[in-house]
Amino acid sequence: MSSPALQPRTRVTRIAQEAVDRARLTVVPRVRTRAPRVPFVTLVSLVLVAGIVGLLLFNTSMQQASFAASSLETQADTLAAREQTLRMELDELRNPQRVAMEAQEMGMVIPSAPVFLDLETGRTIGVRTPATRENAIQLLPPPPPKPAVLAPEPTYIEVPATTTTTDDVQSASGDQQAREKKNKNKHQRQQGRKNRNR
Amino acid sequence: MPSTRTRRGASRGAPMLRLRIGFVLIAVVLSFFGARLVQLQGVDPRSYAAMAAAEGAVRVPLQAERGDILDRNGIPLADSIKGKMVVADPELTTDQAPEMARLLSDRLSIDYFKTLTALRGRAEGSKFEYVARRVPSTLASDTVAELAEAGYEGVSLRDDPIRDYPAGDVAANLIGYMGTDEPLGGFERTFDKQLAGTDGEATWQSSSSKGVRIPLRESTLKAAQNGAPLRTTIDRDLQWFTQKVLAQAVQQYRAESGSAIVMDTRTGEVLALADVPTFDANKPTESPEADLGSRAMSDTYEPGSVQKVLTASALIDAGKAYPRQKFRVPPNLARQDRVIGDWFDHGNIRLTLAGIIAQSSNIGTVLAADAFSPPELVAYLQRFGLGQKTDIGVRGETQGILTPGDAMTSQTKDRVAFGQSLSVNVAQMAAAVNTVANGGVRVSPSLISGSAVTDDGLTVGTDVATRTRVISKQAARATAKMMEKVVHPEDGVAPRAQVPGYLVAGKTGTAQRVAADGTGYDGSTTVSFGGFAPADDARFTVYVVVHAPRVDGGGGSIAGPVFSRIMGYVLGRYGVEPTNGRPSRLPVEW
Repeated sequence: MSSPALQPRTRVTRIAQEAVDRARLTVVPRVRTRAPRVPFVTLVSLVLVAGIVGLLLFNTSMQQASFAASSLETQADTLAAREQTLRMELDELRNPQRVAMEAQEMGMVIPSAPVFLDLETGRTIGVRTPATRENAIQLLPPPPPKPAVLAPEPTYIEVPATTTTTDDVQSASGDQQAREKKNKNKHQRQQGRKNRNR
Repeated sequence: MPSTRTRRGASRGAPMLRLRIGFVLIAVVLSFFGARLVQLQGVDPRSYAAMAAAEGAVRVPLQAERGDILDRNGIPLADSIKGKMVVADPELTTDQAPEMARLLSDRLSIDYFKTLTALRGRAEGSKFEYVARRVPSTLASDTVAELAEAGYEGVSLRDDPIRDYPAGDVAANLIGYMGTDEPLGGFERTFDKQLAGTDGEATWQSSSSKGVRIPLRESTLKAAQNGAPLRTTIDRDLQWFTQKVLAQAVQQYRAESGSAIVMDTRTGEVLALADVPTFDANKPTESPEADLGSRAMSDTYEPGSVQKVLTASALIDAGKAYPRQKFRVPPNLARQDRVIGDWFDHGNIRLTLAGIIAQSSNIGTVLAADAFSPPELVAYLQRFGLGQKTDIGVRGETQGILTPGDAMTSQTKDRVAFGQSLSVNVAQMAAAVNTVANGGVRVSPSLISGSAVTDDGLTVGTDVATRTRVISKQAARATAKMMEKVVHPEDGVAPRAQVPGYLVAGKTGTAQRVAADGTGYDGSTTVSFGGFAPADDARFTVYVVVHAPRVDGGGGSIAGPVFSRIMGYVLGRYGVEPTNGRPSRLPVEW
C-alpha cells in the first residue's frame, strides 16, 4: 500500500529504510541483574533457624517455668501445711487447761475475789483476800472407779482369840518383821521429805 | 531389544498384570485405612476424643477449708488444718507389708496390726486401702518420703482435712463435733452451711507422672470457696474456768449433772455456758452419747425459789407489793389440795417482802402472790421469756412448760409463784434474772456474735437480739435490793455466794425433781443459784444449776460457792471494780 507511493523517492526511502530498520523492535535479551544470591539465602535461613531455635527455647522455658511453678506450688503447700501444724501446736500450748496445770504446779492459784491496784495512788481497790491452797481448782477429773475385779472388797477374817500356839508365834514374828519394814519405810519417807524441803 | 524385554517380562509376568496386582494391594491397604477412619470419625468420635484428652489429663479436687469456730476474742475453739489420708495399693505393698507396717505404725502412732491388714488388702484383689486418716500434712509427707527412701512402693497421700479442737472439752457441748465426713452435733451441724464452703476443682494436661502442666494446653480452675468462720460470744478462758469450777462442785456433791451460764447483763451475750459432764470434742466416741449435747438447753427442770425473784419483781411492778410490805407467815398454809410448807420450821413469823426473798419463804411468796390472778402472773412470766424458746442457736432447745394463764388453776398459780409446776431451761432462767439486773429490760440471750442462719433457717445472733421492757426500772432496783439480802451473812440463806468487796444480788433455788417417767417427784433435788454483780450497776449475771446432788445441801450451800467463784473470776477478768455502793438496808422482819 505504501510502496507505490515511496517508489519516486528512493534516497528518502533508503534513509527511511534505515530508520525503519533502526526503529524495528527486536526482542531485547533479558537483562539479568545478577544480585548476589548468598546473603538472601543466608538471611532467610537465619530467620528460619532463629525462629525455630527461638520457638524451641520459648517452649523449653515455658516447660521450665511450668516445672518451677509446680515445684513452687508443692513447696507452698508444704509450707502452708507446716504453718498450720505449728499453729495447731501453738493453740494446744495456749490451751487454758495446760496453762493452768503449769501455773498450779508453780504454786499459783486463781483468787476467789479480784483486787485492783491503783498505780497512781498505790492503793488497792477491793477486799484483799488471801489466795490459799483451798482456792486451787481441781484441774483433772478424778480417776474412774476401778472395776470390782481390780478393787475387791477387803476380806475380814475373824481370828478367834485362842491360846498361843506355835503358829501364833510365827505370825507374831511375821508381824514384827512387817513393823520393822514399815518403820524403815517411814524413815525413808522422812528422809525424802527432808530432801525436798531443802 | 524387544527380545530381551520379552524375556525379562516373561520371568516377572505381564506388566499390566503386575500393575493390577499392585493397585489391588494398595487398594486393600487403603481401604483398611479408610475403614479405620470411618470408625474413628464416623462411629463414635466423642469417646475417642475423650480418651485422648484423658490421656495425661490431671484432675485435682480442691477441698474447701472448713470455717473456724472462734471465741469472742478470735481464738479458735475449732479449726481446720490441712491433713492427708495415707492410702495403700495392696498389690504393691503385700510383699513388704510387715516392714512397711512397722515404719508406718511407728511414725503415725497407729495400730500395727490394722496397718498390716490394710497393707495386705482387706479383700482379695483390693487396690485401695485406707491406712490412716486425718494425719497432719507434714507428718504424712515426711513419713511417705521416708518410705520412698527405704525403697518401698505403693503408699500415697490424698487430701483429708482435719478438724481440730485445740481446747479439747472447752465449750464442746456447744460446738459439737465432726464425724468421719460430716458434722454430727452442736454448732458444727447447726451452721454447717456457713462453715462448710464449696469444693472446687482444677484440671490440666500433664506429660509426666508428677503432674507437671503442659504449658498452653487446656486447663481450668474452679477455686474452692472456703467456709466462713463462725464467731461466738463465748470467752474461752472464762468458759474453761466455769467448766472446771462446776465440774468440781458436781463431783464434790456427787451430783448427776450441772450447768452454769455467764451473761453480759447489758448485751445479753453469753460469755460461758458450761455443761457437766462434758466430753472431749476431739474424741467424742469416748463419752456416752447422752453427754454430747447441751443439757443446759435441752433439759427442763423446775427452777424452784429463783422463780420468787420474778414473782416479787412482777408484784412490785404491778404496784401490788413493795419491799417493806409486812407479812405474817404461818408455819404452814393450807390451800385447797395440799398444804404448803417452808424449807425451815418456824412458828408464826413476821417477814417483810424482802425477808420472804432473803429467807426464801414459800408461804410468804404465795401470800404475796395472792394479789395476782393466774393470767396476770403468767403474762409477766411470759414477758420474762419463760415458756418460749430463747432461739439462741443451740440444737434441740426445749421451750419449757408454762401453763397458759386462762388454763391455770389458783393452786397451780400458788406453786408457780415459788417455782414449781413450771419448767425452764438454763438460758431462759438466766435471761429472766438478767432482766432484773438490766433495770427491767429483757435482752434476749445470744451465743453467736453478729448473725448466722441455723439449719432450720432461723437467724440468730447479737444482731437480732431483742430488748423488751418487762418491769419498770424502779421495780428492778427494788428487787435487786431485796436480792442483796439473800447473800447477807445474817439475814440471808446464802452467805457463801458473796464475792468479797462487791455488792452481790442473788437468789437460791432448791426444787424437787420430777422423776424420769413423769409420775411425780422422785426425792432428788435441783439446786441452783442465780444472781448478778455489782448489784447497783450490774455487769454480769451468773446462774448455776446442779442436778440431783447426793450430798445434803441447798442452792445456797452447793450452787452458791460456785456462783461466787465464777462471779469473782469474771469481775476480775473484765476489770470491773467494786462500786462502793451502799448495801441494802431493807428490814427482813418487823
